Amino acid sequence: MGLFSKVAPSIKEFGDMVNNILPDGEKELEQSPYDTKLGLDMARDARKVIAGKIKIEDFHKVYSASLISEFGDHFVSGPEVSKDKKYTGPKWGMVIDLKKCIGCDTCTVSCKAENRTPPGMSYNVVLETELGSYPNISVMNLPRPCMQCDKPACVQVCPTRASFKMENGIVAIDNDRCIGCRYCMVACPYGARSYDFGNGYEEEMTGYDEITSPEYGMDRGKRKKGKVPEGTVRKCNFCFHRLERGEEPACVETCIGDARFFGDFNDPNSVVSKLAASPRAFRLKEELGTQPRVVYLR
Amino acid sequence: MDTKAQLNQPIYDVGIKKRMNTLEKMWWLILSAVFILGVYSIIDGFLLQGMSSTNLSNTVPWGGWVAFYIYFIGMSAGSFLLSTLVYGFGMEQYEKIGRSALLSAIVSMITALTFIFLDLGRPDHVFNSVIYWNVTSTMSWEIHFYIVYLILLVTELYLTMRGDLIKLSKTSQGVKSKIYQILVFNKKEMTDIDKGKDRKLLKILGIIGIPLAIFGVHGGTGSIFAVLKARPFLNSGLFPIIFILSALVSGTALAIAIYVIKNKVQKKPIDVTMVKALGGMLALFLVIELGLEWYEFLIGSYGLQHEELATMKLMTTSAWSWSFWLFQMGLAMVFPLTILFVKKTRQSVNWILAAAIMTIVGVVGVRFNMVVPSLIVPQLEGLPQGNYYPNLSEWITTIGLLAMCLLIYTIGEKLLPIEEDETSENGVSQHE
Repeated sequence: MGLFSKVAPSIKEFGDMVNNILPDGEKELEQSPYDTKLGLDMARDARKVIAGKIKIEDFHKVYSASLISEFGDHFVSGPEVSKDKKYTGPKWGMVIDLKKCIGCDTCTVSCKAENRTPPGMSYNVVLETELGSYPNISVMNLPRPCMQCDKPACVQVCPTRASFKMENGIVAIDNDRCIGCRYCMVACPYGARSYDFGNGYEEEMTGYDEITSPEYGMDRGKRKKGKVPEGTVRKCNFCFHRLERGEEPACVETCIGDARFFGDFNDPNSVVSKLAASPRAFRLKEELGTQPRVVYLR
Repeated sequence: MDTKAQLNQPIYDVGIKKRMNTLEKMWWLILSAVFILGVYSIIDGFLLQGMSSTNLSNTVPWGGWVAFYIYFIGMSAGSFLLSTLVYGFGMEQYEKIGRSALLSAIVSMITALTFIFLDLGRPDHVFNSVIYWNVTSTMSWEIHFYIVYLILLVTELYLTMRGDLIKLSKTSQGVKSKIYQILVFNKKEMTDIDKGKDRKLLKILGIIGIPLAIFGVHGGTGSIFAVLKARPFLNSGLFPIIFILSALVSGTALAIAIYVIKNKVQKKPIDVTMVKALGGMLALFLVIELGLEWYEFLIGSYGLQHEELATMKLMTTSAWSWSFWLFQMGLAMVFPLTILFVKKTRQSVNWILAAAIMTIVGVVGVRFNMVVPSLIVPQLEGLPQGNYYPNLSEWITTIGLLAMCLLIYTIGEKLLPIEEDETSENGVSQHE
C-alpha cells in the first residue's frame, strides 16, 4: 500500500512496529520462577554496560549477591577478582534536593550540636538569597556543607599535607599536624573551612568544654586553652565518626523535609548515584574543576 | 674622598661627635622602648590569647600581619635585586649601597618571617612545614626557598666584607676583636688567592641567587596569592609579576632612603649622581608597575566576573577606598612619579628622598590591597561579607616588629663593615 500512498511512515513508526512484535519483558519474566525485578534491573544495567556508562566490574559487584541467592549453584560466573589492592569500599557523597529544602536551618543546628563547633564556626550553613523583584519573588535556600571535592583546592595548597583526601572521598584534616596558616581557608571556593580561635560557649552552657569535638572518632578529652584543635583549621567531614559506627551524618538524619540523601557514589545502584544522574542535578562552581561530591537537585 | 677632605676629617668629626652621640642615644632608646612594647603585645596577644587577640575572622582569615609579611618579602626582594646590580652586573656607580642593600635584604627577610610566624595558629607545629613537604603547595615551596635564600644572602654579605672583617679583627680591641676573629675563622691575611676565590664564589652565588630571588622567593610569594582560583581578583598570571615590580619599587625606595638619611645624619657628602640615577630607576619601575596594574584591572573588569568586579568596587569605592586611592595610587604611584618627572624636583636630593619615603609608606597600602579586599568579598552569594581592620594589639605588635627591624639593621651597621671604605683595596672595587 505504501507504493501508492503519498504519506511515508516516519522513523518512529518503524520503531513502533518493531516494538509491537517484541515480547513484554515484565510479562515474560513473570512466567519464570525467578525474580522479575532482578531480571528487569539487570537488563537495564546491562544496556548501560554496553553503552559504557557502567563498568562491568561494578555490574558484577552489584548483582553477584542477588544472583547467588536467586540461582544458587547454577550461577557460576562472577566478577573477576582484581589482583592489585585497589580501594573497593564506599566513596561517600551527598545529594541535596533544593526543591525540598525549606530553609529551617535544622541541619546547621544539628551539625553544631554534633560537632560541638565553637562560636562563629559552622561546618554547615544554609545560604538564603532572594531572587527577582516584587511581586515575582522567590527565596532560594542553599545548604552548604563541605563539598568534599575530588580535586580539592584546599588540599592542593596545604603546606604540610595536614589536609588530605581520604580513600572514602572525604577531605580530612590532621589537626595534630596543621600549623594554622589558614591558606586552605583562603583557597576554598566554598568558604567551607573555619579556624578554631579557641573561644567556646562555656559561659552560656555549662559543660561545653567538658568534651572536645569527637571529630574523626578521636577522644581528645577536655577542650582546653592552647590544646588541639585550637589554633588549627576545622571543617565538615561528613560526620566521619558517625559513618564509622554506621550512622548517617547529623544533617542528613535530622533534615525535616528529607531533602538530604547520603550514600555511596561507588555503588551505581545507591540512591545518591541515581539521584545524581537526574537532569536536575548540578554542582556548585563546577567551572573551577574542583569536582564536588555534594550534588544539588534544582 | 680626596686628600683635602681626609685632612679635614678630624676637625669635622669633633664638632658633630657630641650631637651624634645624643642623636644615637635617642635612636636606641626610642627603638628599644617601642620594641619592648611590641614584645609585651606579642606575649599578651599571640602567646596568651592566640589568634583571638586579632580582628581576624573566619571570613577574613588573613590580615595585617600577612600584608606586612609580603611587604617585607618585597622589600627584601627589591634590596637584593638592587645589590645584584653591583655584585652580579658590576655596576660600580651603585657600589656605595651594595652592602647596605644586602644587609637590608637580610633584615627585611628576618622581619617578614617573624610576621608570618606570628600569624601561625600553632607555632608549636611550625617544623611540620619543613618535615612534610607538599609538592603542590606554593607555600610549602616558599618556606623552603626562604631558608635557602636567607642562607644565600648571609653568605653573600659575608663574602663581600670578608677583607674588611679581617682588617677590623686586627684594628679593633676587646670583645669586638674577638667577635671579628671568630667571624673570619681566625684568618690573618687576605691573599690574592683568597680574593680570587671570593670573587668566583660571589659570581656563582649571584648566578644562583638572581633566579632564586626572582622566581623562587618573590615571584613565588606572589604565586601564593595568584594560584587562588577561589579569589578571581588574585587569580591572574600577571599577579606574581606585579608583585616583583612593587618589590623593586619598594626596594629601590628603601635603598635611596637609607643612603640619603644615613649620610645626612652623619653629615657626610651625598653622591648626588647616584641618588639621581636611583631616582630614575624608581620612576622606571613605577611606570612599569602602573602599566601592569592597568592591564590587571582592564582584563579583570572585562571578564565581568561577579567576584572580581565586586573586589574592584570594594577597593575603589567602599569605605576602604582611601587605602587604594591615597596609599596605592597616591603615595606609591602618582605622587612619587610626579616628583620624579618634574625637572625641578627630580634634580633635588631632598625631593627624591621625599618620593622614596612616600613610596615606602604607600606600598604598605599596596600590600594590604593584595590581601584584604578579595577576602572581604564572599565566595558564595549568601555567605557573610567580611570586615577587617587591624586592631590595637595588631598595630602595637606591628610597630614593635618595625622597631625590631630597624634595631637589627642598626646593630648590623654598627658591628659590620657595611659602609664601603673607598680607600679599601677589598670589596667590590676589586671584583670587576
